[in-house]
Amino acid sequence: MTCMTKLSLACSTALVAFAGAAAAQSVTIGITQNNVGVDSYQTTYEQAFIAAAEANPDVEVVVLDAGGDVARQIAQIQDLIQQDVDAMIIWPTNGQAVIPAVREAFQAEIPVIITNSNIAEDGFDFVRSFSGPDNVTQGARAAEIMCERFTELGIQDEAQIVQITGQPGYTTAIERAEGFENRLPEVCPNVTLVESQPGNWNREDAQRVMEAFLVQYDDIDGVYSGDDNMGVGALNAALAADRAGDITFVGATNFAVGYDAMERGEYWGSIYQSPVDDAEAALQTALDILAGEEVPFLNYFDTPKITQENMGEFDRPVF
Amino acid sequence: MAEAMVKSVGGVLARQGILVAFLVFMIGFTFWNPRFIDIDNVFGVIRSSAILGVMALGVTFVVIGGNLDLSVGSMLSFSAIVVLDLHENPAFGPALAIPAMFAMTLCLGALNGFLIGYLRLNSLIVTLGMLSAIHGLTLTYSGGQNMDIANQSATWFDVFGRGSALGIPVPVLIFALLAAFLGIVLAKTPFGRKVYAVGGNGTAATFSGIPRARVVFLTYIISAFCVATAGLIQASRTMGAQNTVGQGLELEVLAAVILGGASLLGGSGTIFKTVIGVLILGFIQNGLLLAGLEFYVQFVVTWVIIILAVWLDIATKRGKLWSPIA
Repeated sequence: MTCMTKLSLACSTALVAFAGAAAAQSVTIGITQNNVGVDSYQTTYEQAFIAAAEANPDVEVVVLDAGGDVARQIAQIQDLIQQDVDAMIIWPTNGQAVIPAVREAFQAEIPVIITNSNIAEDGFDFVRSFSGPDNVTQGARAAEIMCERFTELGIQDEAQIVQITGQPGYTTAIERAEGFENRLPEVCPNVTLVESQPGNWNREDAQRVMEAFLVQYDDIDGVYSGDDNMGVGALNAALAADRAGDITFVGATNFAVGYDAMERGEYWGSIYQSPVDDAEAALQTALDILAGEEVPFLNYFDTPKITQENMGEFDRPVF
Repeated sequence: MAEAMVKSVGGVLARQGILVAFLVFMIGFTFWNPRFIDIDNVFGVIRSSAILGVMALGVTFVVIGGNLDLSVGSMLSFSAIVVLDLHENPAFGPALAIPAMFAMTLCLGALNGFLIGYLRLNSLIVTLGMLSAIHGLTLTYSGGQNMDIANQSATWFDVFGRGSALGIPVPVLIFALLAAFLGIVLAKTPFGRKVYAVGGNGTAATFSGIPRARVVFLTYIISAFCVATAGLIQASRTMGAQNTVGQGLELEVLAAVILGGASLLGGSGTIFKTVIGVLILGFIQNGLLLAGLEFYVQFVVTWVIIILAVWLDIATKRGKLWSPIA
């Protein structure tokens, strides 16, 4: 409400001062999100996005949510084209299926920014920029955290690890696993990745997979999980089997549960990815493009390493 | 004499086809990887099957009564989220959170039972609708946030999922006790016989003076009670939950019940066989994991085995493998 008041104030002042021409000072940005409410990350992202937009008096936003439904997202993109927004931010429900709608926006000369997870390569021509985390780098950094820890423990030449990946077929899951698997032999060539199984972004699934790993392998020195939610599931399994003390747990997307487990000394490290940074980066990318600045096509925001050693520098995640 | 032996073995086979199938899997997997029958692994599998198992006990009543319950997955998410949230609420704490969660979950079961029993709506449609509606309710309740217990060392709440008594994990104990209790209710009480009667031949049940609506209503109450128990174990085991924790479980539960030999048309099935069905599902998943198969392959193999088991069961009952629809 305050935003609206401010906005109308700003607009009317501008109108008085510059008589119409200054309406260009204020921009309208539409966003269609993937599925707000399905998890804490997306919920926090939406709140942060709205907060960032309200803090900027020159921006008006139209916030939509596709509820995970591709058809609804396509309809929302078409609505935003009809409303003739100045720029459009899309969090794709499906990287392939939204391309035709993105193309329509492109033809209507509305700049499109993809946020969080990218669309398929066929659609790159219709997109001005991708704003989001670099999942390959996240995987690579997790491998580095794991290797550095093994070196400290002096087991970098014999350690055996297992991997619990996200949902099969999901780009984030594939990219993180790829980054991890490619980087690990570069930094720690003698560490063996004995097995990978999916935990489907689900803590209970990850716990079950880890229980089987613990039965199958007498020697597990490290577990890499595609996110902390699954990592904590794996940790729970190891705690129940009384083997957590021997295992280095590394994850990604630091969740509050992961942060707390690090504080207790049970979980070693993760990648700090803030939905607030993600949302603010998306909005800023849109504003930069509208201001005519050069923006790289892959406009990543930084997702730093976090471990028990440097966690003091980071706030506890809100999700 | 020998012939009589063969006949009685054949009779056992015919009655307990699913049990035989179960033993065949167990022996096969053990040859594949001897760790499969490691006592820790066996307990681990039974423990992680307990959540699915407890849910399947309730659904067995519903299915024998001639209906379906597809809302159990969403209902599990709901109960896990609610109990965790109330646990964190200083006005409740664990001791009040648990009965409050049970009451709320039973209300959902009562709604199912009312719509299906008293308004005579189709159970497939009602519970499919409830599957989405309860999911939405859960998201509304939680605002989409994960629920976690902040201070895990300061609560006794973990006893249901992680504790053990007499060397047996508590989830297994709950599953076993509830199975024994509900098994007796179903097999030995007048109420149990009414459930079979209503599912087997509704018209005959009416003429026998059985209050069908009330029996159906009660089967949904039992189902909701089981889901609440499963939700409690789930929440306690992970000490936190996502809004989607039960997603997809309704089909796994149904698979276990059908695998146990309950007919989707109602009127047949037992608690014991459902327990076998649950264990088969649990051990298949575990065995394939231990065999180190790719995830995609596991999916295919799981369902191939389920269909084979059902076929084996039906074939032994009919006494022939080949029986086209005539």
